[in-house]
Amino acid sequence: MKILFAEDETDLREVVTAYLEYQGYHVDAVSNGRQAAEKAAADAYDTIVLDVMMPEMDGVTALRRIRETGNTTPAIFLTAKAEVADRVEGLDAGADDYLTKPFAMEELSARIRALGRRTREYRIRIQSFGNLELDLEASELRARNAIGLAHKEVRLLSCLLSNTDRSVSSEELLKEVWSNEPADSDTVWMYISFLRAKLRSVQANVTIEGDRNQPFRLKEIGYV
Amino acid sequence: MTQPSLYGSCSGTMRRVMDRMTEQIAAFGKTYELQYGEKLYEHLNCRIKSEESMREKLRRLGLEETPFSALRSVTDSIGIRVVCLFIDDVYECVRQIKGIPGCTVILEKDYIQNAKPNGYRSYHMILSVETPEPDAEGKTPGHYYVEIQLRTIAMDTWAALEHEMKYKKSIANQELFIQELRRCANELASCDVSMQTLKRMIREGNE
Repeated sequence: MKILFAEDETDLREVVTAYLEYQGYHVDAVSNGRQAAEKAAADAYDTIVLDVMMPEMDGVTALRRIRETGNTTPAIFLTAKAEVADRVEGLDAGADDYLTKPFAMEELSARIRALGRRTREYRIRIQSFGNLELDLEASELRARNAIGLAHKEVRLLSCLLSNTDRSVSSEELLKEVWSNEPADSDTVWMYISFLRAKLRSVQANVTIEGDRNQPFRLKEIGYV
Repeated sequence: MTQPSLYGSCSGTMRRVMDRMTEQIAAFGKTYELQYGEKLYEHLNCRIKSEESMREKLRRLGLEETPFSALRSVTDSIGIRVVCLFIDDVYECVRQIKGIPGCTVILEKDYIQNAKPNGYRSYHMILSVETPEPDAEGKTPGHYYVEIQLRTIAMDTWAALEHEMKYKKSIANQELFIQELRRCANELASCDVSMQTLKRMIREGNE
């Protein structure tokens, strides 16, 4: 486990680094936000821990920079300020958690462990339902046959697979799969149609229920 | 010394059976085109298996090199391949072939719905075709097997590459090639299915 740690107060930086290293982490410690952004771009980390108030570049700006590059590494803020607005700003900048100074070392390392657990869960490789398997890594749909899927098809099906207990609206799917790209309910309908044909083509005993502009849901069916 | 012909007196009939079948396929293709304004299939190939490779196959199967073995025990002496633009067209061709008079389906395998583990996709049919001429058993009317493979252009391209690889004995890291070829098959199938879906949606939109 590799941690990027940015803290401008030398004493605190050294003691936290020593503690985390003692816990078995590899720690790259830097003293401002600019260095943190550079390090994050140059190396891959499992967790990023950032102080908010730092010279040259503050932690919030640094994390924004890091997120802009598409980096989704879990991040924790250390903040001296207990103001709600600061915590909100940090979380909105892309942080996953925060700790208010002063904090206990044990709590920091527990939060790092907790984030690690969640990311591992997010890193699911295969989702399944009925006789269906969606291989997220290979972008492949498998049942009695295998077929490749386009990137958006993977995201769309994955979203339906995560919500088999309920119907998902076109609006939700647009937000989840297309986020900021130009797309509308016709796009969703087209990709639902692609997926339906592909589910049939691999002879999945799963189908997508729902009509154009209606909510969609995966349903298990008998073999055709 | 030249070997006597393996197909013997049947070889003329074999050609006529093959020609009649391709004519029948071309005929329903023509009718379809007149009706819908688009081709039902892209192209069609046919071949009589060369005597040389038929002998090799018979030896491999431990069969006697006789017209009976070649024409009654082995079913691919006459082969036709129909290559279509779209998956639905493949199934339409299958349906029409079944309606050709004098043809009985002996075996059909849908490797499009059930792709082979290596990724191979095609629709295979073995037909028994009746002809007024005698067959390898000397019976009249005679019966000849015709093997038909139907597939899309994408599947055909894939099969051509797979065929090339199969006959190249020494490929370094063959496992990687097999794996990537399988991935290509699944991606091509993905495009075939997507294009078919788009085609249907365009059609429904125009109705």
